[in-house]
Amino acid sequence: MNLRDELKEAIRHRSLAMTLEEAEKLAGYVGRMPTPLELHLFDTMWSEHCSYKSSRSLLKLLPTHAASVVVGPGEDAGIVKFTDHDGYSWDLVVAHESHNHPSQVLPVEGAATGIGGIVRDVYCMGARVTGSLDLLRFGDPLGNSGEKTRAICRGVVEGIWKYGNALGVPNLGGDTRFHEGYDDNCLVNVVSLGFVRHDRIVHSFVPAEAHEEQYVLILVGKPTDDTGFGGATFASADLEDESEKGAVQVADPFLKRVLSEANQNVLDFLFERGIKFGFKDLGAGGIACVTSELAAHGNLGIEVNLDLVPVSIPDLPSEVIACAETQERYGLAVPKRISAEVLDIYNEKYEMPRLFPGAGATVIGTFTAEPFYRVLHCGREVANTPVEYITEGLIYDRDWEPSPTPVIEPDFRPCDPPEDLKKMLLSLDGASRSPVWSYYDSEVQGSTHFRPGEADACLTVPIPGCRAGLAVSGDGNPWFGELDPFLAGAHAVGEAVRNVVATGATPIAATDCLNYGNPEKADVFWQFRRGVEGIAAACMELGLEGEDPLPIVSGNVSFYNQSSQGGAIPPSPIVAVFGRIDDFTKSTDISLKTPGNLVILVGDRMDELGGSLYYRTCIDHRGGRVPAFRGKLEREMARFVLECCEAGKSKAVHDISDGGMILAAAEMAIASRPDARRGILFNTDELNPVLLYSETPGYLIEMSQESWDAIENKPEFLSIAGIVSDEFSIAAPGWKMDLREILEDHASRLDRIIWREEITE
Amino acid sequence: MKSAPLVAVIQFPGSNCEYETARAVRSSGMDSCIYRWNQWRELRDSQPDAYVLPGGFSFQDRIRAGAVAAKERIMDLVFSEAADGKPVLGICNGAQILVESGMVPGWEKGRIETALAANHISGRSGYLSGWIFLHTTTRAQQICPWLGMTGNGVIPLPIAHAEGRFVFSEENHYRAESSAALKYCDEKGIESSDYPINPNGSFLNLAGVMNEYGNVLAMMPHPERAFWMWQLPPWIPGEWGDRRDESLSSGSHAAAKGPGSVFFMSLADYFRGER
Repeated sequence: MNLRDELKEAIRHRSLAMTLEEAEKLAGYVGRMPTPLELHLFDTMWSEHCSYKSSRSLLKLLPTHAASVVVGPGEDAGIVKFTDHDGYSWDLVVAHESHNHPSQVLPVEGAATGIGGIVRDVYCMGARVTGSLDLLRFGDPLGNSGEKTRAICRGVVEGIWKYGNALGVPNLGGDTRFHEGYDDNCLVNVVSLGFVRHDRIVHSFVPAEAHEEQYVLILVGKPTDDTGFGGATFASADLEDESEKGAVQVADPFLKRVLSEANQNVLDFLFERGIKFGFKDLGAGGIACVTSELAAHGNLGIEVNLDLVPVSIPDLPSEVIACAETQERYGLAVPKRISAEVLDIYNEKYEMPRLFPGAGATVIGTFTAEPFYRVLHCGREVANTPVEYITEGLIYDRDWEPSPTPVIEPDFRPCDPPEDLKKMLLSLDGASRSPVWSYYDSEVQGSTHFRPGEADACLTVPIPGCRAGLAVSGDGNPWFGELDPFLAGAHAVGEAVRNVVATGATPIAATDCLNYGNPEKADVFWQFRRGVEGIAAACMELGLEGEDPLPIVSGNVSFYNQSSQGGAIPPSPIVAVFGRIDDFTKSTDISLKTPGNLVILVGDRMDELGGSLYYRTCIDHRGGRVPAFRGKLEREMARFVLECCEAGKSKAVHDISDGGMILAAAEMAIASRPDARRGILFNTDELNPVLLYSETPGYLIEMSQESWDAIENKPEFLSIAGIVSDEFSIAAPGWKMDLREILEDHASRLDRIIWREEITE
Repeated sequence: MKSAPLVAVIQFPGSNCEYETARAVRSSGMDSCIYRWNQWRELRDSQPDAYVLPGGFSFQDRIRAGAVAAKERIMDLVFSEAADGKPVLGICNGAQILVESGMVPGWEKGRIETALAANHISGRSGYLSGWIFLHTTTRAQQICPWLGMTGNGVIPLPIAHAEGRFVFSEENHYRAESSAALKYCDEKGIESSDYPINPNGSFLNLAGVMNEYGNVLAMMPHPERAFWMWQLPPWIPGEWGDRRDESLSSGSHAAAKGPGSVFFMSLADYFRGER
C-alpha cells in the first residue's frame, strides 16, 4: 500500500478530522508514514477548535490593543490592568469558551466540563478564579423537540451548579435564551474571570532559563484515562448523532478544588524562591498538546516518557494516553533541582494520592536543547517531530456568499399595553430567570455585591479591603442574529456595554464567543464574517477609557453548530464585557426606590421592532427592521449614565432591551422591596407600540426632580417618561397593569415549564 | 495571655468557604488561622480558643455530606475541645460535619441523633441558594457564645445547600426543641413550615441546632456571606433593609456591618466577658 493510501486508511479507521492533504503535509514533515500518536496530535492541533484555521484571517479585524491590555488573545486567558491596592497592581484575567457539542450529547457532564475547562485557563495564568458566567441557548421547550430541550436545559443547569458550587467559584450570571434554531444544537458558552498580582502572572511556556539549566515536566492531577479522546476533533465537525459520547470528558470539582489549593501553594513557593517556571492546563489534545506547546513556545524540545504517566485504565495505546482529554490536570515546567519539593507539596502536603486513587504529581518529561518533540512508550519511540511544526497553524480562506434575510414588517400593530406587557412578562424570554439562578451559588468567596437579577450586571468586590468593583455581563440576541448577522454582533457588544454601564462601571475589556454553523458553507461563513465585522465596529466605537477601543482580550470560535440534517443555529455572536467602578458603593441596581422621583428615558424610541419580544409574543411576527447600531450615540448615552452615577444622581438604572421601555419599567418595579412596592406612571396616554415596545438601545433612570433640574444643557436624547409611584403597577393615563396579578407566574414560569414539566400550551 | 482570642478555621479537602470565614473572624477583632485537615498537630499546639468548620463539599460529600470529614483525626481534637466547653461553629457543610460527628445535639455522647437530609418541601427540592430570614430562640441567646448579641429581631442570611433539612427520629421529637438555636421565619418574624419561608422542610423550621451547653452550634445559613452590609441584596425588607438604605445614604456602606456579623461579634463579646 503506498503512503497516500496508508494515510487515507488511517484517516478512515481512526476517524480523523484532517484532510488527506493535511495528512500528506504531516507525512512530509516527519519524512515517513506518521505514527498513530503523531496523527492524533496533529489532528487536534490542526482541528478548527485549536487552530482557528477558518477564522484566524477574519479575527484580525477585532481590536485587541489598548493601554490597559497586559496579555491579549493567544495565551490561555486575556489579562487587563484592574487596580492598585496596598502597594500591588492587580490585573483581571478573563477567558471565554464554548462547550456546545458535549452539552447537547451529555448535558450534565458537558456543562460541568465547560466550567472545569475554562477555570483552568484562568488558574494557569497564576490567578485566583473569582467568578464564572454561563451564556445558554436552548431550543424551544414548548416546540416539537420540547421534551428533549427541557431535559437538556435541566441537565446543563445541573452540570453548572454541581461543578461551580462545589469548586467554590461564584456564578455571576450570564443569560438564558430559547429559540427553535437551537433544538438540535444547544449553546453552552462559559466565561471565567479571576485576579492576579501583576508581578505574579504565570506564562504557559518553558522559561528562557531552561536553556541554561535542566528543566523537567511535571504532570499533576487526575490519573489519565481514555475520556475525551478526540474531543477537539468532535467539536470540529457537524453533530452527527449521540454515538460520540466517548469524546466527552468527565469533570471532578472536588479534585479540582484540592488541586487549585495545592497549585496556589506551589506557585507561592516558586515565586518566593524566585524560580522561573511554565504552567499550562491540559485541555484539547491532553498530554501531547501541553508538553509540545510548553516546549515549542519556549524554543526547546522535550522528551516525554508515557510509561511514567499515572493511568487509571491499564494497557492504553500510546496515542490515547498522549491525547485523551482527562480533566483536572496541569503541566508544570520547573528546574530539575527543585522538582522533588514541588512533588511533595502535591503528594504529601495535600495528600492527593490519598484523596483520589491514582491522583498526584509525577515527572514525565525532560526538556531538551535539540528542538524535537520525542515521545517514548514501552521502550519504543512513538513520536518524533520537529517542534516548530506543532505550533505552526494552518490558515484557510473560506468562500462566503451574502444571504441577507428579506425585510418584512407587519402591516398591523395592535397596542394593548396591559395585555401586551402580561404576555411578554410570561413569555419564555421575558419570564424571570430566578428558577435557573436558584441552583447557582453566587455568593461563595463573600465578594458578591449584586447577584443575578438585582442589577443589569453582576458586581463583585474581589480584592478584600479595596473598593474597586468589577461588573460583568454577557449578551447576544439570536432573534437579531437571524435577521441581521452584522447587527447581532454589534448589539451583542452594545447590550453588554449598557448592562455594565447601568451599574456605574466603565467597560475595560471584552471577550467573545462566535457560535455558527459549518464554515465550509458559503452562507454560514458570510454570517460569521458579518458577525466579526459587527463586533469590531462596536468595539471601535464603545471604548470609554480614553481614546482606546474596547479591547477583545480573549475568545473562542465555535463552528459546526449544525445538525447532520443540515440545520445551522441562528448566527450567535456572544460577547461578555467587563467593567470597573472605583467605588462600588456608588453602583446602581434596577430597583425603584422613592415615589415621586422622575423616570428619565435615555435614547429616543425608533420604529425598528424587528426581532422584538413584542413582535414575537404579541403579534406572532419576526419583522425585519432590527434596531440600527448608532455607535456615537451609544457612546454619548453611556458617558451620560456614568456621569449621573458618579455624581450620585441616579437611584436606579435599567437598560432597555427585550420588551422595550414597558418591560424595563416592569422589571424595575418587580425588583423593588416587597415591603415597599413601587411602580411607574408613564406621562403619555399614547398607545404607540414604537414608544412602548421598541428595543432601540437606551436606559431608564430614576432620579429626583432636583437632580434632574441640576443637569445643565441636557443632551437631546433625554426625556421624562414618567414618575415612580407607590403602587405596584405600570400605568399611564388611560391604562394600568397591576403587577400583583402576574408576579408569581412571572417568577415561577420557567420552573413550571422546564423542571415541573407543566405544559399547558 | 494572647492579645486576641484565636479562632481556628479548619480546611478539609473540598472546603470552599475557609477564606471569607477567616476574614469575618478577623473583622470581628479576633485572630484567625486556617488549618489543613492533616495539620492536627499544629492545631493542637496552637491551642485555639474557638473552632469554625467552614462550608464547602468536604470529601466530595462521599457517603453523606460531612460523613467522611467527621471521621478525620483532626475532628477528635475538635470533639474533645468541645467537650471542654470551647466554642465550636459549623456552617453549612461544617454543620453537616458536626451532625455526622454526633456533636449536635449531643444528648448522648458520640451518638448521631439528627441528620441533615436532602432538601424536600412542596414547591422545591434539590440544591437551593437564596436569602432566608431566621430568629434565635431565647435559650440559645442565653447559652450560645455565638448568639449572645442576636436579640429578638429577624436576621436575613443567605443559604446555599442541597442537604439542609434537620430530621430526628420519632422518639427524639420531644427533645428537639431543647436543642433549637435558629429557626426559619418570614420577614416579620412569624414561623411557617411552608416554602419558601422554610426553604428545605426542616423539622421545627430549624436552621441551626446546638448542643445542650450551647457551645457547639451547627447552622445551615452562611453568616460570613452577610458580614458586611454591602453583601445584602437591594430588596431585603424590614429592619435590615432600612439599615442598608441608611448606610447607603449616609456614605457608610462599605464599612457598615451586616446581620451575619452578629454571630462573630457575639463570640468576641463572649471572650471579653470571660477575661
